[in-house]
Amino acid sequence: MEFSDETVMAYADGELDAATRATLEAALPHDAHLAQRVARQHALRVRLKDAFDPVLDEPLPERLLAAARGAVPARAAGNVVPLRRAVPARWSWPQWAALAASLVLGVVLSPWLGRAPGGAPLVTHDGALQAGGALARALSEQLAATQSTTAPVQIGVSFRARSGAFCRSFVLRDKSALAGVACREHDAWQLQVLAAAAGPQGATYQPAASSLPPAVAGAVDELIEGEALDARGEAAARAQGWSR
Amino acid sequence: MGAPAADLQAQLVALLPRLRRFARTLARNAHDADDLVQLALERALTRSEQLRADAPLAGWVFGIVRNAWIDELRARGRRERLFAPAEAGAQAATTDAHVAALSVQEALARLPEEQRSAVALVLVEGLSYKEAAHVMQVPIGTLTSRLARGREALQALLGDT
Repeated sequence: MEFSDETVMAYADGELDAATRATLEAALPHDAHLAQRVARQHALRVRLKDAFDPVLDEPLPERLLAAARGAVPARAAGNVVPLRRAVPARWSWPQWAALAASLVLGVVLSPWLGRAPGGAPLVTHDGALQAGGALARALSEQLAATQSTTAPVQIGVSFRARSGAFCRSFVLRDKSALAGVACREHDAWQLQVLAAAAGPQGATYQPAASSLPPAVAGAVDELIEGEALDARGEAAARAQGWSR
Repeated sequence: MGAPAADLQAQLVALLPRLRRFARTLARNAHDADDLVQLALERALTRSEQLRADAPLAGWVFGIVRNAWIDELRARGRRERLFAPAEAGAQAATTDAHVAALSVQEALARLPEEQRSAVALVLVEGLSYKEAAHVMQVPIGTLTSRLARGREALQALLGDT
């Protein structure tokens, strides 16, 4: 009697109905090829279990235990500042205090905000954090499709946000390795999120556009409406001055 | 409303080792897998009213984990297309080469998501065909054909033909 692959598979998985199972088991002792097919399916299951079962014995991460118990997720890592997510309107002083306290950005941002050869890349306007200087120019003019890989600002993805505004992600190729997303609103590039792309030890790290910090990539996912702009869409958006 | 919140939380804690194992079959990186579990736990707790009293909790949460993973794959696809055009060629080059000597994890990671989930739910998590089909929200026939194809592909990748 011939048994199909699906039948052999179902037998190995304990999913055969009793009658077919009995027929197959009666044939097994006399059919070496059938026995081999069954053994092969068993072997795969054993191999998979051996590969993944050790996970069961690992100590459970505290954050997962907390999440299972309904604790509020402690998402805010030390090097990430979600600028707009919680506070859609304007920054207030307590938020600036939180920013200053933030381990990495406190160090990273202070020189950026002060020094201004050709304009600081981050400026405050009416309490909101905006792009300035070379960053603002790159956001307005640089096209990801044609930019030089050595340009000090690397533009990542350009897209339309759910608000209708055009937004662009960027990485600063300098010691700060700062990455972020800015959206064009009120004739300025409003920062939505900023994060350090490299750890403290990464002072010489040159971030690739693909190595966006998860917080920045996550902000893109949250903001984006539909798909991101392709090269043609990017050029068209620039031609209309990034206005809605 | 289903079970009281504290009861659900206790059950989720008990389920954690299996959730982590299942997530590891989807996301190879252990940290990514735990992120997936954390997201799924948060979603499970906020959607507990969707949990039917007569349905097994494990299958319901596995489904949430898998859907979170599919969301993540979509987001990654979007990012990879947009952020890493230069790396696309490098990745394509390894797709066909080096099929020999793959670890089980590597081999599983090469399967299409549908086959990978079917294999993981039945062969690693030990779900019945019916339960696995329910998690993946497909008919049993679809589940078994994905499972059969996934098995064949895995055995080929693992050099067991």
